[in-house]
Amino acid sequence: MEGEHESVEGRPLDEHELVERARGGDARAYEVLVRRYQDLAFRTAYVIAGGSADAEDAAQEGFVKAWYALPRFRAGSPFRPWLLAIVANEARNRRRSGQRQDDLALRVAEDRPSGDAAPSPEAAALAAEQRRVLLAAVGRLGESDRQVIACRFFLELSEAEMAAALGCRRGTVKSRLSRALHRLRAVLAEQGAPAAAPEPRLQGGDR
Amino acid sequence: MSRRELPELEQTLADLAAALEFPPTPDLAAAVGARLDEAPAGAPARARRRGWPIGLSGWRRLAVAGLVAVLLAAAVLVASPGTREAVARRLGLRGVGVELGGPPPPTVTTRPGERLDLGLGGRVTLEEARRRVGFPVLVPGAAGFRRPAAVFVDEDEPPGGRVDLVYRARPGLPASPFTDAGLLVTEFQGQPSPLFLKKVAVAGMVEEVTVGGEPGYWFSGEPHFFTYQDARGAVREERTRLAGNTLIWQRGDLTLRLEGEITKQEALAIAESMR
Repeated sequence: MEGEHESVEGRPLDEHELVERARGGDARAYEVLVRRYQDLAFRTAYVIAGGSADAEDAAQEGFVKAWYALPRFRAGSPFRPWLLAIVANEARNRRRSGQRQDDLALRVAEDRPSGDAAPSPEAAALAAEQRRVLLAAVGRLGESDRQVIACRFFLELSEAEMAAALGCRRGTVKSRLSRALHRLRAVLAEQGAPAAAPEPRLQGGDR
Repeated sequence: MSRRELPELEQTLADLAAALEFPPTPDLAAAVGARLDEAPAGAPARARRRGWPIGLSGWRRLAVAGLVAVLLAAAVLVASPGTREAVARRLGLRGVGVELGGPPPPTVTTRPGERLDLGLGGRVTLEEARRRVGFPVLVPGAAGFRRPAAVFVDEDEPPGGRVDLVYRARPGLPASPFTDAGLLVTEFQGQPSPLFLKKVAVAGMVEEVTVGGEPGYWFSGEPHFFTYQDARGAVREERTRLAGNTLIWQRGDLTLRLEGEITKQEALAIAESMR
């Protein structure tokens, strides 16, 4: 992200400095922050709102509202959870107001071996199939379970960030995640053989 | 419990995450920048040109200019010349004089160098401002106004010092086309004889009000001009600085001024809440 650490003085700025500058009215500093967190904000909104158009809308609105809310940001506290709380709230509002969306219409990348050693074609196909089955099972969970799993594993949020994104207290994040995993396991068991699992939402998504 | 029971499931989910494709992230930075650019509707070209609103330099310029504030006023009452004279005699608070009527506003000319070179005031924390001036700095207790976005202090001008509190525009508190800010609050110790005053205006309304039992005035309608006294004591007309809706009032020997695109009721509520 080297290119995003720009500053007037030409030296990199850390998050704290950027936030402080933005709080002081420095719009350029805020723009750097937006670039830095737009992936995170958009994907979090996507997980919650359920569609990319609503996610874009929610993330954009969230960034605008966050700018105007900066005077109320407590100096020195972490920026990400604060931002995510605002964006997630926008995403929830859109989900409530719209009809039911495509649920977690994520795609599993096809040919993307994650290790250095290329697996055999058979092994790669099997791994891809398992991922599809797992994603489909996540998609069959209730909204709350799906969101907590996506926040933890797909967005890799911290507990504080999960609490902010999900609008719950930090103390309840672990138990919510635990219950969601329990139900996911039940769905997988119910589906039986991995290869038999349906793939209802894999092709019907945003692209 | 599940975390221990299902380590493989968690690991598989983590692996799945690496293979997931989210829809491509749109260029939010550009979109957000454009949105913020639109926000101060009717804002001066200066603000629009910057693309993103209210830079610190803008606030500083504003604080320096608005400053010492003096009000100027302009207000032409819907009244006969005789009435106008009577009103003019009545108007005036400590440190502030108001002149009604007057010639039409001069052509706007910029004198940016002069304004920036005044060297009045700098940005500080509220605590620092309180240490530096010779009067108790008041802050609104009204919700949403307890923490100004920026505080400027000038220890020398006028005597006793002056403090400016700046609040960002936000939903419900639109940017003033004249200050770029959502709200500007100025406080200083008024002197018995007005330091500034003067000038003009063509139209607009001035209304007598009371704030906490003490006198004040509410200016609304057409923009009016300010005059102010610079560090060398010269009275200057701030020709580029128009003022929007303004409440100016007195509390003891403190003179306070509040400016923004707000209603009289909102202004009075904020003013009454200052502690």
